[in-house]
Amino acid sequence: MANPTPLTTVKPGEQRTDTWSELLGRVGEAQDQHAFKQLFDHFAPLIKGFCLNNTNQSFGNDAAEEIVQEVMLKVWQKAPSYDPSKAAASTWIYTVMRNARIDMMRRNKRHQIDNSPIEVDDLWDEDSTTGPVVQFQRLRDEEVVQASFKILPNEQRQALTEVYMKGKSHSEVASETGLPLGTVKSRVRMGLQKLQAHIAGTAHAKVQA
Amino acid sequence: MNHTASGRSSSGRPTLSNTSSSPAIINHHPDANMLVEYASGSLPWGLSIAVSAHLQLCQHCQQQHAKLSALGGSCLNDAPKEAVNDDAFSRLLSNIDKASTPAEDKVIEHCQQTAAQTLVNAKRAGINAEHLPRVVKKLLPPQLRWQKISNALKSARLITGQGKHEVAFHKISKGGKVVEHDHRGLEVTLVLEGSFSDEEGIYCPGDFLVREPGQVHRPTASQNQDCLCLSVCEAPVKVTGLLGTLLNPFLSIQPA
Repeated sequence: MANPTPLTTVKPGEQRTDTWSELLGRVGEAQDQHAFKQLFDHFAPLIKGFCLNNTNQSFGNDAAEEIVQEVMLKVWQKAPSYDPSKAAASTWIYTVMRNARIDMMRRNKRHQIDNSPIEVDDLWDEDSTTGPVVQFQRLRDEEVVQASFKILPNEQRQALTEVYMKGKSHSEVASETGLPLGTVKSRVRMGLQKLQAHIAGTAHAKVQA
Repeated sequence: MNHTASGRSSSGRPTLSNTSSSPAIINHHPDANMLVEYASGSLPWGLSIAVSAHLQLCQHCQQQHAKLSALGGSCLNDAPKEAVNDDAFSRLLSNIDKASTPAEDKVIEHCQQTAAQTLVNAKRAGINAEHLPRVVKKLLPPQLRWQKISNALKSARLITGQGKHEVAFHKISKGGKVVEHDHRGLEVTLVLEGSFSDEEGIYCPGDFLVREPGQVHRPTASQNQDCLCLSVCEAPVKVTGLLGTLLNPFLSIQPA
């Protein structure tokens, strides 16, 4: 791997990802409000759609609006720690949203969180999302992951979507679909293995080329 | 059992040349299903603590997790768009104004205090904090109360802000054998210091073990060092055998 693929090789279809990452980088570096507005216009409807789709939590319109506010506020506040070379904007915003959602659910459930020495951001921290791994590899994987997700067989993609989109645990998916837990688990696992194989195949092809 | 890496493709394992500061190779990892639940935020809080701590020690799983987060990003990209209220952006701007960020030097001061406090807490508890994962350091209370379970084993419960799982440190003294025990629920063990072995293998720092209900095992610490583990248990641990009957009351679950 003497010649890592330069960061600038972006295929037409992948351009989108890079634009948002660049905008998010500008928000972090210069608190660029214009860039932030563009990010908001793109991601706010996606975040709202994602949450409304989340039948597990039965979010109403107001709750979804609140999540949008919460997530985009965090995006503004945390943007200085965003590193475009390590993660795509959509991935980074996804993790901010995931954490906001967990936080909201914990507050609603009123667990004994008052005396908790740890917060959501301690458990799902940024370093575990963007660890000290070779950066070229990281960014390329991300593009490939997004592309390969679309070629998965239906039931595997569905199982993964239930888990991600709806934030359901495997056992919740099992009880709602009537499928045995083992089947849900193996669909998720097989879907991931296919993604992994596709990613490895693409990486190999790039090295050969 | 699929608590080893065998459930996943082995292609993601980093080569040694990539891992400048990496310690010994970790052989036991959370399985793909558990990592997915963690990455998507549906894994219970108690288990997420163990996975998070493992990730902070394991580059292999960090890479897996990064891919799973990218998958989440992909789902977000594909979500059906829902128009937000007209005033959403102006509300956001005023929310940003209201959320006065604490002065930076105050934050730094707070972090330094916390770091210093952690070292004091750990020393008092007889733990070498240096190699602990960040999340475990944060869980250390000012006064860790060790409870002796047998000659070889002591434990200390940790407060974690949930009631579903018992999260605790377990320390097996060097060469010590733990009473053979069974689990009524899932038990996750993360080795933090030293090592131990059971019928199925030997486990070193960073190794992440899952024991399902019904699996009886009898861990033994290595001869040269006490073994410190973080354990997360779903339900009361049932000790088997005659001695177990005597010890069981000490092991009743009291999530904190």
